[in-house]
Amino acid sequence: MTALLEVDGCTKRFGGLVANHDVTLAIEPGEIVGLIGPNGAGKTTLFNCISGRLHADEGRIRFAGADITRLGADRICHLGVARTWQIVRAFGRMTVLDNVMCGAFGRTNRTSEARVRARRLLDFTGLAGHEPVLAANLTLADKKRLEIARALATQPRLLLLDEAMSGLTPLETAAAVDLVRRIHAELGLAICVVEHVMEVVMPLSHRVVVLDHGEKIAEGEPRDIVRNELVIRAYLGDRYGAGR
Amino acid sequence: MPALALAAAALIALALPIPLQVAGYSYFVTVAFLVILNAMLGVGWNVIGGWAGQFDFGPNVFFAVGAYVAALLAVHLALSPWLGLVAGVGAAVVICAVLTWPITQLRGHYFAIATVAIWMIAQPIGATWELINGSRGLFLPLRPATGPLDAVVSLRFPGRSKALAFYYVILVLFAVTLVLLRMVDRSKLGFYFRAIRDDQEGAEGIGIDSRLYKVIARSITAAVFAAAGVVYAFWALAVFPEQVLDLNWSTFPMMATVVGGIGSLWGPVVGAVLLIPISQLMGATLGAGPLAGRGIDLVVYGVIIMLVAALRPNGLLSLPWRAWGRRLVGRRR
Repeated sequence: MTALLEVDGCTKRFGGLVANHDVTLAIEPGEIVGLIGPNGAGKTTLFNCISGRLHADEGRIRFAGADITRLGADRICHLGVARTWQIVRAFGRMTVLDNVMCGAFGRTNRTSEARVRARRLLDFTGLAGHEPVLAANLTLADKKRLEIARALATQPRLLLLDEAMSGLTPLETAAAVDLVRRIHAELGLAICVVEHVMEVVMPLSHRVVVLDHGEKIAEGEPRDIVRNELVIRAYLGDRYGAGR
Repeated sequence: MPALALAAAALIALALPIPLQVAGYSYFVTVAFLVILNAMLGVGWNVIGGWAGQFDFGPNVFFAVGAYVAALLAVHLALSPWLGLVAGVGAAVVICAVLTWPITQLRGHYFAIATVAIWMIAQPIGATWELINGSRGLFLPLRPATGPLDAVVSLRFPGRSKALAFYYVILVLFAVTLVLLRMVDRSKLGFYFRAIRDDQEGAEGIGIDSRLYKVIARSITAAVFAAAGVVYAFWALAVFPEQVLDLNWSTFPMMATVVGGIGSLWGPVVGAVLLIPISQLMGATLGAGPLAGRGIDLVVYGVIIMLVAALRPNGLLSLPWRAWGRRLVGRRR
């Protein structure tokens, strides 16, 4: 069995703080994995290590068989890992179309081709009407959507979504969940979602990985995870754990 | 409308110096030469400063590289300035890439400080290096052109025609620069530069090697500065370190860019057309008066920049020109 992404014993420290401790997980091609955990559990740090924004202090990260532990973010993106950001990083002074074209330029040098690909993804993500708008002037929901379109334009095999739904209204959240489902169904990508909102992650994910204080405390199918005592403790405190 | 404005600007640029020359005001033709020279430097600086968003305070180093390389080749090998142009631009690009690669790890103010440091290091080198005659300077060999063709090939123009001829030389070079940079602006390079400016981490996350593209951006800036430096050397007929490394070759293009509109292709052109005549004409008219040599033109620059920064931080080009133009045309109908 060769997984698409293999994280093997990843440890990341910031001075005395251990943000990730010996985290091991794998993502199969075409799988949706939910990565959950309380605030400060180390979810974003793990994303940063996978996407090359940070480098793990210990452990190995492999993507499609290649060791990417020490590679820079741009190299990892070229190999087929794309991500979005918890705090949006849209190119504010560029138009929506230009933002997505920047992603498409990762796979082509021709402006006309990049434009065609970008337009296709704007249609797919429902942003076609906003083409000439400056990214800075979009709503938060549309900015997050734009980041997804831009990430898809790099033609990834694995998409890392860092809280793509936080801060959205219930209606916007439903639309975002629908978009993730369509990315999975129509583009066949493997997706890893970091999310706080349980009602979003549970129905969406095939498998859920739970982090707490930088360590993996549980992994399994969503319906098992919601009954897992360690998980309940991590989220709600000891008082709500069974047997007390 | 922009096509009309472009055609009008091109027509003025082509025709304006002729009546001045005929009337014997070749000084004003020289002012026009300096306007275009600074406009060219401005659009060059705009690539690293405006598009890629990295404040480069020492691009004049490459102005000097261009001037020195072409002058050295003319002095020692009697090489044509046009071949000197190719060599000067090539040398500037290589030197810029080597010098810029390590400092692209720095960001914001620290990058800016590093570019200033490179300029400061260049000054004593220019003043003491024997190969380029140190502070004694390099003098270009004087010999009259054998005919009009030789005049164009060797950039030697007799007497009063010199000002006009050099004006058209820099105008052609400027036009070529604009066409090439417009292509850069619309290509992958232009998109990547602006992506890095807006969010470096975001850019790296979608596969952009920010370091490489910063080096490319600054090397394009260096190429433009070097090309202008070559023309300047043959115009001045001598190259002195304190002259080609003068801070003004950095600050005037930068001010022109900021006043005209940073990040847009034509912003620096608008800024140069406004600022350079002010400096030249004030220098000329106050020459004999009590304010002579007091840098009063810099005071005026300061006021203009403060006004632009306070009222129109995106530069004069961001004013609603299109609406004004439409209103003007509508009224006439």
